[in-house]
Amino acid sequence: MAMRYEPVLLKGIGEADLRDIRVYRERGGYKQLERAFRELSSAQVLDLANASGLRGRGGAGFPTGRKWQFLPANGAPRYMVCNCDEAEPGTFKDHTLLEETPHLVLEGILIGAYGIGCHHAFIYIRGEFKRGYEIMRRAVDDARAAGFIGKNLFGTGYDLEFTIHRGAGAYICGEETALLNSLEGKRGEPRLKPPFPAVEGLYKAPTVVNNVETLAYLVPILERGAEWFAGVGTERSKGFKIVSVSGHVRKPGNYEVPLGVSVNELIELAGGPREGRKVVAVQPGGGSSAAIFEEHFDLPYDYESMTKAGSMLGSGAMVVFDDTTDFVKAAHSLVRFFAHESCGQCTPCREGGHWLERTLARLVAGYGLQSDIDVLESVSHQMTGLNLCALGDSIEPFLASVVKRFRPQFEARVRRNGAS
Amino acid sequence: MSDFAALREELQPECEALIAQYPDKRSALLPIVHLFQARQGYVTRDAMWACAEMLELTPAVVESTVSFYTLFFRRPVGKYMLQVCRNLSCLLNGAETVMAAFRDKLGIGHLQTTADGLFSYEEVECLAACDRAPCMQVNLEFVYDLTPAAIDDMLAAMRGGTYPVAPLPQTAKPARTWAVAADGEVALGDKSPGAENASDPNNAGGIGDRSGVIMLDRILAEQSRFTGRTRERLPNEPPAAMREIAQEEAGHAH
Ligand SMILES: Cc1cc2nc3c(=O)[nH]c(=O)nc-3n(C[C@H](O)[C@H](O)[C@H](O)COP(=O)(O)O)c2cc1C
Ligand code: SF4
Repeated sequence: MAMRYEPVLLKGIGEADLRDIRVYRERGGYKQLERAFRELSSAQVLDLANASGLRGRGGAGFPTGRKWQFLPANGAPRYMVCNCDEAEPGTFKDHTLLEETPHLVLEGILIGAYGIGCHHAFIYIRGEFKRGYEIMRRAVDDARAAGFIGKNLFGTGYDLEFTIHRGAGAYICGEETALLNSLEGKRGEPRLKPPFPAVEGLYKAPTVVNNVETLAYLVPILERGAEWFAGVGTERSKGFKIVSVSGHVRKPGNYEVPLGVSVNELIELAGGPREGRKVVAVQPGGGSSAAIFEEHFDLPYDYESMTKAGSMLGSGAMVVFDDTTDFVKAAHSLVRFFAHESCGQCTPCREGGHWLERTLARLVAGYGLQSDIDVLESVSHQMTGLNLCALGDSIEPFLASVVKRFRPQFEARVRRNGAS
Repeated sequence: MSDFAALREELQPECEALIAQYPDKRSALLPIVHLFQARQGYVTRDAMWACAEMLELTPAVVESTVSFYTLFFRRPVGKYMLQVCRNLSCLLNGAETVMAAFRDKLGIGHLQTTADGLFSYEEVECLAACDRAPCMQVNLEFVYDLTPAAIDDMLAAMRGGTYPVAPLPQTAKPARTWAVAADGEVALGDKSPGAENASDPNNAGGIGDRSGVIMLDRILAEQSRFTGRTRERLPNEPPAAMREIAQEEAGHAH
């Protein structure tokens, strides 16, 4: 099936080797960076970000321009950090961008750094992305040689340094304050907020943390105008989004669509369900999001509609479940993930996750107790809203949604009296 | 000069370049540990002390930080680190078959190393390649669309020395290697094999400890002592998986 929508960030991937800086530049690469430095002020770049309606693509969907405006306006040293720690179950868009079009990622970060007026930008790359790290290293070397990183860029007197930082295996380092700790050479434990990074971030200086996809969209926004971006999407969810579709579909992959296409259409884009199967649930926003069901599949895929359906758009990862799915195993897999990745600072997250995992493991093994299902519900309830960071609150949504919807599957795993 | 002193001297310029990349030198801790691990195969005590010296930290701070990250191995591992995704999208696409095949063909379970020191095996969380599920990493290089047949070919090539991904350096033989009976139907969520000198990789109270399971087993084993509310929540007989874990624990008690 042909792509129904013209790709923006994914454009050119698979046609040409965009990792080669010459190829990237032949296709217009780094023109927007140059234009930003030569023709626009930092304030104008920020205005463009605001006018485009761009919202964070890392999970929380916070308006990007507004986040930048939280920085103090006194010109004190500040940092831009690009979050490429992608590890939210089901999400694989940043991984693709990093490996396939590293210069676009880099150009976006540099434009963003200029937009907030900082002189040192970082990218935090997940430890598992060894290949992506090597690709980005080469991209940075090439960009430096071409004069896009370093001192006195484009003869404007503006200096901009760039550092690649590689993680070492910890999902929690995707949380922005944990990421900053990890970047400072510490354990990746989230910090208490406030102060928010915009006030006290990296090395105690004001800092913006933005997702790879968020920053990459700055390039087409500069190129085609904020109105173009704001003209796409729905009322409060503007522009495009790369949706990572996986699970029970025939053609899993990254699909870049205008926000607001229907959930059904995304399933269709990904080839639809397998032969003779029917989709019964979708997790629309990564492992942290609650499942939505058939009655929601006509909804537009945007921030507001997903929230209204009791879930969230999150990182834009859609996991599709057909009628063969064992939801007890699915729930166990995700709960185990969060229990494994909990940094351990907060008791509800650390203990709650652990005991939910044990309880689910017992159900998966067919040794559950009738009371286990109530335990699942009550424990997950008691965990939410009591933690330092959003990880602790991410354990409950999917579990609760599938226990409610597919309760018979859970009950079938309760140990029968006399049987073993 | 000891082997390590020579290595440290060789890597010194690279370490200094890494430190110079950051406004604060402690930031260079993760990159420097990566550097040493890439040469030594795991994070040695020597390497941690060297980091402490270079970055003006205490060794305890370095070890505490290193122990937070699952890709820093604090004990010798096999030449091929096989990390198979066990998360959702892979699960929906046959990861269980893949994991069973690895366990069966290698004769080891999650977080273990084969007796010949060639393979370490881990079941890991989402690798951000869900469109190519089931997937895994071999020494951090991705392998996509796994099938049992592909696993046979892979292991044969590794044993024959023809696999395209380079083996990890192995400067010390993995100390504790053993094969364990099936871990039960579900892999438990143990976090890491623990430190090099820990008495048991799943040492109680340490990282990856199984105290929760041990406790459950104790309760199960001594049911008669638990009455009332607790009792009604217990199965009459410990599940097989838990019995096996208990036996294993007993076998490795310190
Ligand atoms: C547990 C946890 C994990 C996260 N992982 C990521 C991640 O891998 N990548 C990411 O961009 N944001 C992640 N986030 C969100 C970040 O904290 C932060 O909101 C985001 O990077 C901001 O960028 P944006 O405004 O461009 O979306 C995570 C948040 C939490 C609570
Ligand atoms: S909620 Fe969980 S992951 Fe987040 S800080 Fe607390 S213990 Fe750590």
